Amino acid sequence: MAKMHIALRVNNRQVETLAEPRMLLIHLLREELGITGPHIGCDTSHCGACTVDMNGKSVKSCTVFAAQAHGAEIITIEGLAGADGSLHPLQEAFREHHGLQCGFCTPGMITRAYRLLQENPNPSEAEIRHGIAGNLCRCTGYQTIVRAIRAAAERLNMPKEAAE
Amino acid sequence: MSAEIESAQARTQKLEGLGTRRKRVEDARFTQGKGNYIDDLKLPGMLFGDFVRSPYGHARVKSINKEAALELPGVKAVLTADDLKPLKLHWMPTLAGDVQAVLADEKVLFQGQEVAFVVAEDRYIAADAVDLVEVEYEELPALVDPTKSMAADAPVLRDDLKDKTSGAHGPRKHHNHVFTWEVGDAEGTARAVRDAAVVAKERIVYQRVHPCPLETCGCVASMDKVNGHLTMWGTFQAPHAVRTVASLISGIPEHKIRIISPDIGGGFGNKVGVYPGYICSIVASIVLGVPVKWVEDRMENLQATAFARDYHMTGEIAATREGRITGLRCHVLADHGAFDTCADPTKYPGRVLQHLHRLLRHPGRARDGRRRLHQQGAGRRRIPLLVPGDGGVLFHRADDRRPGAQARSRPGRNPPPQPNPQRAVSLPIGAQRGIRQRRLSDCA
Repeated sequence: MAKMHIALRVNNRQVETLAEPRMLLIHLLREELGITGPHIGCDTSHCGACTVDMNGKSVKSCTVFAAQAHGAEIITIEGLAGADGSLHPLQEAFREHHGLQCGFCTPGMITRAYRLLQENPNPSEAEIRHGIAGNLCRCTGYQTIVRAIRAAAERLNMPKEAAE
Repeated sequence: MSAEIESAQARTQKLEGLGTRRKRVEDARFTQGKGNYIDDLKLPGMLFGDFVRSPYGHARVKSINKEAALELPGVKAVLTADDLKPLKLHWMPTLAGDVQAVLADEKVLFQGQEVAFVVAEDRYIAADAVDLVEVEYEELPALVDPTKSMAADAPVLRDDLKDKTSGAHGPRKHHNHVFTWEVGDAEGTARAVRDAAVVAKERIVYQRVHPCPLETCGCVASMDKVNGHLTMWGTFQAPHAVRTVASLISGIPEHKIRIISPDIGGGFGNKVGVYPGYICSIVASIVLGVPVKWVEDRMENLQATAFARDYHMTGEIAATREGRITGLRCHVLADHGAFDTCADPTKYPGRVLQHLHRLLRHPGRARDGRRRLHQQGAGRRRIPLLVPGDGGVLFHRADDRRPGAQARSRPGRNPPPQPNPQRAVSLPIGAQRGIRQRRLSDCA
């Protein structure tokens, strides 16, 4: 099968690669680029473990062809920490509030929450639950995940509110 | 003054003892996408394995043609039971003392059963090759209802066990029977139920459930031919069991097998069993001389790995008119799937009854010494390799309840009702351990 030339930005890094037209974005990230944060849980876009941020939207990378990401700006869980290594408030909050156990859903969950908090910086509990409805977790029962996202939202809003 | 004295809460937190909030060490990695799960592992020269699976619940495998698959560029091998037979690798022991097919040997017994193992350069080519393997089946009647499994004319599922007269806990009474297990005082319970002012009887179906961890099962097998060492990474909740089985069937001594369980994306019991994918990966790595990875997809995980429950229960509570419980009886029919791979770590088959024990201990519920518990045919149906849905097969463990039957199988373990009700219904700890040891020795 003839390969296609694909150029995209992943976590602020320009990458170019060749891939078969049928290759999925999740496999491009994991197998070709070595970005193993996003996971494969179901192959059917139900579980959200493969969630990445593509051009400002959350997408399930197991149902996006790599070719569709040509020219796209991708952010994965690996791209959320600061350049100095400091954790994103969401990452801190998930640790602090025990928003994970086995950790397999966590990269997708945090990446989704990252976009959710930009769409809605101050979500209610119901809005958080609705916002992460596409991400499944088998360990926590979601209570601590919702709490972590709420805590992160409060922290992200803090400097602005303090300034006012 | 008071400001200088620490609060009790602050002192507790400083001590970092019980009741204090602790950050987990691993969360720093997990929240940054730095976990090391099985599919993250990539070794030089590593190949990828994938299964051809049965579309039928019960069928004879008439022929397997792998020519077209082998012609596909990038395909390195296609293994079938016939390839494993000369090495005696086509069957493997289970944790319950049964055996299970590594690759279907003449028959398939559940939908999704492993029929052939394809090894290729990457998972896309492997998936293509799976489609190119031609298998001819002759469909046979499937059994999907446990309550009909022990009928006289029920189809014989396991040809290899057809004439076997004893099971894990005593005699087998039907070609589809796995085992019968019971504890309690049969006669006393029958009397309590017969004499009770009130008897509440209920049939309860506890449906089959699948643990469904977010990460499916998988492994990487790497055989070092130079020093004869096998290294296995995998989603193993019971790494020692995997090492034992790998050693038993491959002939590689245990001290030359290293089993590594990296980060695991949930298990819930699903990852205790030893699956054909592990064994096929080992064989492929030995044959091809390079590491081989196998990771199942979600459909495979749901179809062909361990499930739980599937209890068909009849419970009876004997009581006085005042509501005091005087006896309990429970009969459980459990579906054990095609191969009995039950891996209950306590080896206490009637786990469901432990909950009843607790109920009985509840001081508000029962205080008199005449409670009895009689269970027959309990089956901790924990891990059968199995098949949901249509065509699923089922081989069960089942039992007929015989009124007035003696508490037979375990002399000394079923003491008659004592003034202390807990004594009357509990299996002693030592007995549990004894059972476990025996099961492991069966396995070895």
